[in-house]
Amino acid sequence: MKLTIDGKTVTAKEGETILECALRHDISIPHLCTHSALSPFGACRLCVVEIEGMRGYPTSCTTPAAEGMVVRTNTQALQELRRNILALTMLEHPSACLVCDRRQLCEQYRPEAEKAGRTTGCHTCNNKEVCEVRVLAEDLGLSELPVPPSYHQRPLERAEPFIDRDLNLCILCGRCVRICKHQHGTAVIDFIDRSSRTHIGQAFERSLLDAGCRFCGSCVDVCPTGSLADRYAKWYGKPDATIETTCIFCDAACALELGAKRGKLITAKAVNEDVPICVLGRFALPEFLNGTDRLRMPYVRVGEVLRETEWKEAIKAMAAKLREFVGDGFAIVCDTASTIEDRHIFKKFTSEVMKSKNYIEIKPDARGVSRTSLPKGTKAALLTGNFIDAAQLKALELLIVQDCYPSAVSERADIVLPAAVFAEVDGTIPDSSGQKRPLRKACDPPGQAKAEWRIICELARAMGAKGFAYKSAGAISKKLGIPKTDLQVERDKTPEAARDPKLRRTYFRGHRIDEKVRGLQELLIDGGSSAGAAETEHKGNFQILEKHEIAPNTHEIVIEAPEVAKKALPGQFVIVMVDEKSERVPYTLCDWDARKGTITLVVLEKGQSSRKLVLLKAGDKLAHVVGPLGVPLEIKRYGTVALAAGCYGIGAIVPIAKAMKDAGNRVLTIAEARSHYLSYYREKLQAISDEFIQTTIDGSMDIKGHAVDVIVKKLKDGEKIDCVIAIGCPFMMMLTGQETKPYGVKTLAALNPIMLDGTGMCGACRVTVGEETKFACVDGPFFDAHLIDWDELRDRRAAYSAEEIHSLGRTEPVAPHHNDNHKCMSLHRTRNRE
Amino acid sequence: MAKEKIPRQPMPEQAPEDRARNFDEVPYGYTEETAILEASRCLKCKNPKCVTGCPVNVDIPAFIALVQEGKFIEAAQKVKEQNTLPAVCGRVCPQEEQCEKLCVLGVKDEPVAVGRLERFVADYERNSGNIKMPKIAEKTSKKVACVGAGPAGLTVAGDLIKLGHEVTVFEALQETGGVLTYGIPEFRLPKATVQAEVDYLKKLGVKFVMDFVVGRNSTIPELLDKEGFDAVFIGTGAGLPAFMKIQGENLVGVYSANEYLTRSNLMKAYLFPKYDTPPIKRQRVAVIGGGNVAMDSARTALRLGADVTIVYRRAREQMPARNEEIHHAEEEGIKLKLLNNPVRIIGDDRHRVVAMECIRMKLGEPDESGRRRPIPIKGSEFIMELDTVIVAIGNKPNPLIPQTMPELETSKWGTIVVNEETMQTSVPGVYAGGDIVSGAATVILAMGQGRIAAKAINEYLAKK
Ligand SMILES: Cc1cc2nc3c(=O)[nH]c(=O)nc-3n(C[C@H](O)[C@H](O)[C@H](O)COP(=O)(O)OP(=O)(O)OC[C@H]3O[C@@H](n4cnc5c(N)ncnc54)[C@H](O)[C@@H]3O)c2cc1C
Ligand code: SF4
Ligand code: SF4
Ligand code: SF4
Ligand code: SF4
Ligand code: FES
Repeated sequence: MKLTIDGKTVTAKEGETILECALRHDISIPHLCTHSALSPFGACRLCVVEIEGMRGYPTSCTTPAAEGMVVRTNTQALQELRRNILALTMLEHPSACLVCDRRQLCEQYRPEAEKAGRTTGCHTCNNKEVCEVRVLAEDLGLSELPVPPSYHQRPLERAEPFIDRDLNLCILCGRCVRICKHQHGTAVIDFIDRSSRTHIGQAFERSLLDAGCRFCGSCVDVCPTGSLADRYAKWYGKPDATIETTCIFCDAACALELGAKRGKLITAKAVNEDVPICVLGRFALPEFLNGTDRLRMPYVRVGEVLRETEWKEAIKAMAAKLREFVGDGFAIVCDTASTIEDRHIFKKFTSEVMKSKNYIEIKPDARGVSRTSLPKGTKAALLTGNFIDAAQLKALELLIVQDCYPSAVSERADIVLPAAVFAEVDGTIPDSSGQKRPLRKACDPPGQAKAEWRIICELARAMGAKGFAYKSAGAISKKLGIPKTDLQVERDKTPEAARDPKLRRTYFRGHRIDEKVRGLQELLIDGGSSAGAAETEHKGNFQILEKHEIAPNTHEIVIEAPEVAKKALPGQFVIVMVDEKSERVPYTLCDWDARKGTITLVVLEKGQSSRKLVLLKAGDKLAHVVGPLGVPLEIKRYGTVALAAGCYGIGAIVPIAKAMKDAGNRVLTIAEARSHYLSYYREKLQAISDEFIQTTIDGSMDIKGHAVDVIVKKLKDGEKIDCVIAIGCPFMMMLTGQETKPYGVKTLAALNPIMLDGTGMCGACRVTVGEETKFACVDGPFFDAHLIDWDELRDRRAAYSAEEIHSLGRTEPVAPHHNDNHKCMSLHRTRNRE
Repeated sequence: MAKEKIPRQPMPEQAPEDRARNFDEVPYGYTEETAILEASRCLKCKNPKCVTGCPVNVDIPAFIALVQEGKFIEAAQKVKEQNTLPAVCGRVCPQEEQCEKLCVLGVKDEPVAVGRLERFVADYERNSGNIKMPKIAEKTSKKVACVGAGPAGLTVAGDLIKLGHEVTVFEALQETGGVLTYGIPEFRLPKATVQAEVDYLKKLGVKFVMDFVVGRNSTIPELLDKEGFDAVFIGTGAGLPAFMKIQGENLVGVYSANEYLTRSNLMKAYLFPKYDTPPIKRQRVAVIGGGNVAMDSARTALRLGADVTIVYRRAREQMPARNEEIHHAEEEGIKLKLLNNPVRIIGDDRHRVVAMECIRMKLGEPDESGRRRPIPIKGSEFIMELDTVIVAIGNKPNPLIPQTMPELETSKWGTIVVNEETMQTSVPGVYAGGDIVSGAATVILAMGQGRIAAKAINEYLAKK
């Protein structure tokens, strides 16, 4: 069947749609709801085309290709239509970043997404680096929205294992619902409610867990937006390497696509999007391999203690000791989590070097339990996991453990060797039917850990043995005559554990997987492991009196802190520790009442520490609040003062506006919000400013643009501004500085680097201003915005992002009790374009 | 006599290979037997030189005699008559420069291990749980504020509470101890030891107000005029890190020793992610400086898994660190690059440290400090690849209080000027001691000055 698409003659297969045919021939047609693993749906309508002889614009995803058809996919009319369709779709999405005039500059300054609670724009969206919507918006040249968008005010759902849902980003493409149904026969999730309240969820308000979710992650994988996210991978961004390998948590041997960033494993998903994999394969692997307590170095026992040592020393020590146990007194015990190549080397070593017949290979049971006992008369043993009861080990004269995690067994060992396992090694592994499958190295092993065959080969060579000179796992497979193996991509049956998570394995090499992987503890199979959720303590003196989410992800918190309230001055900040284990984190004082002894903070949820803070309720107590800190802003009569405020700065600018006004200035306050629903404190600021202007990035309320646009316009118009003060995110403050500079207006920015003590003792808060180094906590927070090294500030603020992301990914699921205001924001807001 | 034959008893300690990777205390401490044996070496001089070497004049022969008799609790109380923090001093005092330096035995043989014995009796008393409360004089209804809960402030608090005054200690951080808590690492001074000393003061009735920054929450004049304090002692330490003012010093990966140590010690970053403060886990670390602070930073970095080199611009003989610390550091595998000075630090496009350029030095003529001045050797620059630089070249006094109290006289180094006989500042009723007066010095000097100040404050209050 032949047809013409965009002037190109192509051949369609029987039953193919126009979209499928076009994509197969590398002709791209925009589409959102269609996904390669799913049947057509026709919901997003972005794939509209023109077909000669047909009226209107049919959707290419639902129109079958037919002989002789002439299709155009890229006319101006179509692009216009698609732009409008996308703009409409974006009306219920935090879409401001898409239509922002400074999108390029923003991307340059911060290419990676910043962590946040609820996402309010691309720059705090976990999907940013891979977002299909963003690509579409760029391609279609979307630059404005027809009417103000709405925000659904849905709580961030993070009470479930592994999956975070921020349905405020959902565009109702239905991919998730359809894939779930496709994968499991019946859908766990569905469209709930009608018309404007439609959303993705489970019937009867059940949790995913109760609704029978298998945690196969398919929905997360197909979602085109940041709405559904893998909690662990969420903030790592896009992997810089992807590799396909085989899952060895069980012998279903699913084919996995792994993503790593700088050598660290961050994501795992099914290679075959048509058949689900289980929760272990989809969600557990990165957290398991990245565990902070992995064995990283070899250890040799000296008296009571296991002493860290170098490989050379460990091998030497082992070789010397093992010589005394040649014969059947030696045993090696491994299980099938070691590759065929590893096991071959173990066996060869046992018989050829140790002259023993005791090579013992355990096949784990359905739970993954590998346990056995040592043959009578064993004096020396090498174990590759937690396989033997402690009591039996007492009789041994020499115990060597080669493993990925410490265990009751390794604690008793004379020598402990760190093994690279699973996605850290190459090799071959048999599946349940005996078919051999490839294991391919996708990430770096921790510390000094090495592949198992390599360790034993080195040992054998140190003991003078011949025939252990292998250079790679491939060389061993070759020797063993293993032909080239293939991943198990096609399969006729869903693996058992992907049908029912209760059927998954619990152990890997004798270690409970759920002890290493937080989310699994919610998905209990049996009594569970001892590792419980971390207890939180709130026993400080600083009580939270009130707490409101005044705008999405923006929390106003009133705290009892009389010593701070008594002395606070505009521009100062406090350092807060939520509990005794928290970081010390600075927040600007937005208000205080010396008489009542209270202070008010506006807190944006970002990482672990702010999250801890915003998850507290009125009545809870903070462990420590120190302040007021920092040099208060110099309040004097300047003439006209322009205050530019964004995000938490809108709160922080309040006391400054008041004080500047009291000092006799004309106060011009400009609050910038990404969209109308993110604006707050309007009335408050209106009341205390001579002139108040709201800008929105998407133009949904008042003036479109950034705060500095207003200032620059006024300066251009010849209005006199004597001083500009900017408080907000570094990007916004940098912008303000850059654009007022040509006009030579004094511009101050309140810097917010990482701090520790806040009293000038540590220097963590160093910033470069002009040629000088300043401590933001005691010399600042206000500095000349024209002199600040903004790139350095950004990078210093991100100094610990990798560590923070790891700890965030591991945090326990939390119930969304902080969200008391779900009401929908009205669409009808004042709108008044410049 | 057989007695002279007994050698100085060595301190049992963790093997270097083990301790290099854990945060447990390095020396285990004496047993009762070794303590008695060591005590028996003391000649009980009639005119003991050692006592004059001790900045707080502990009655050394008397407490050692009690040890020899096995009266450990009594011995501890003897020490405490003069020294508020014996468990701390026994661990971190440079005894080789003080009491032990003057010990008569030291002329021909090795001196008596006064520090180890002091530590032993203090630990013994604490572990026995049998801590006797000293007599507290009748209440005077006079109120004293101590600013800073470091060794200087704690000493003043301990002395004055026993004299019947009401004492409040104001501390900016969330924990007490000053440098003892945030600076000196766990493996050298277990935090439980410091905490026990502070708990003892609390039991005596000292009030601690944490999270309180004097100068911000209240100024000193306000404490005196509005809050009803009759006298104030300033013991705010030398908490303002100095940097070298070379290129690249603000790159990510360059830390002041204060920050590096505070993260680890106060914020317990080494227990991350159980604690929220992220640790600085890097591979190749250079520590710049040659003092105790440099040693502590280097040994902490080592324990966090790094390969560590100390870069110092003079020779080994000039290193201000205690010999024992240098020795411990070397034993643990820390490399010393002596007679080398950093010239600039080099970063990548994300402002992260990747290397440091140094220049070799040679020693020239002695300078004002009497130490031979290091001179750069032209053309000897070289590059060290690394990912972390810890700057441990000293601390300056924290300027917050002088800034908020212009009438307080300070020197050109920013230290507070005092009358050394009384530790009184230019403002009547306001006293100061410790690092804020002497610049970065030692625990025992801070305590010694605290002692003097407490005595003077007591006299001042009596007159008031
Ligand atoms: C890493 C390191 C290792 C050291 N090793 C040794 C050693 O082995 N032996 C030795 O003798 N000495 C050593 N020293 C030096 C010794 O610790 C100090 O000399 C001693 O702690 C000084 O005591 P201080 O009481 O004057 O001040 P600090 O211990 O500095 O205490 C001052 C306290 O005041 C608080 N403070 C500051 N400003 C304010 C304010 N405005 N309001 C309220 N509170 C405030 C601070 O938070 C701090 O807690 C070391 C120092 C460091 C940094
Ligand atoms: S899903 Fe995220 S990245 Fe994509 S357009 Fe929406 S907010 Fe931006
Ligand atoms: S994780 Fe799998 S089972 Fe659960 S909702 Fe998503 S697609 Fe359905
Ligand atoms: S959650 Fe994602 S996949 Fe599901 S409907 Fe919304 S946007 Fe589509
Ligand atoms: S069923 Fe699960 S554990 Fe088994 S191989 Fe597949 S993904 Fe891995
Ligand atoms: S936060 Fe430590 S000096 Fe500024």
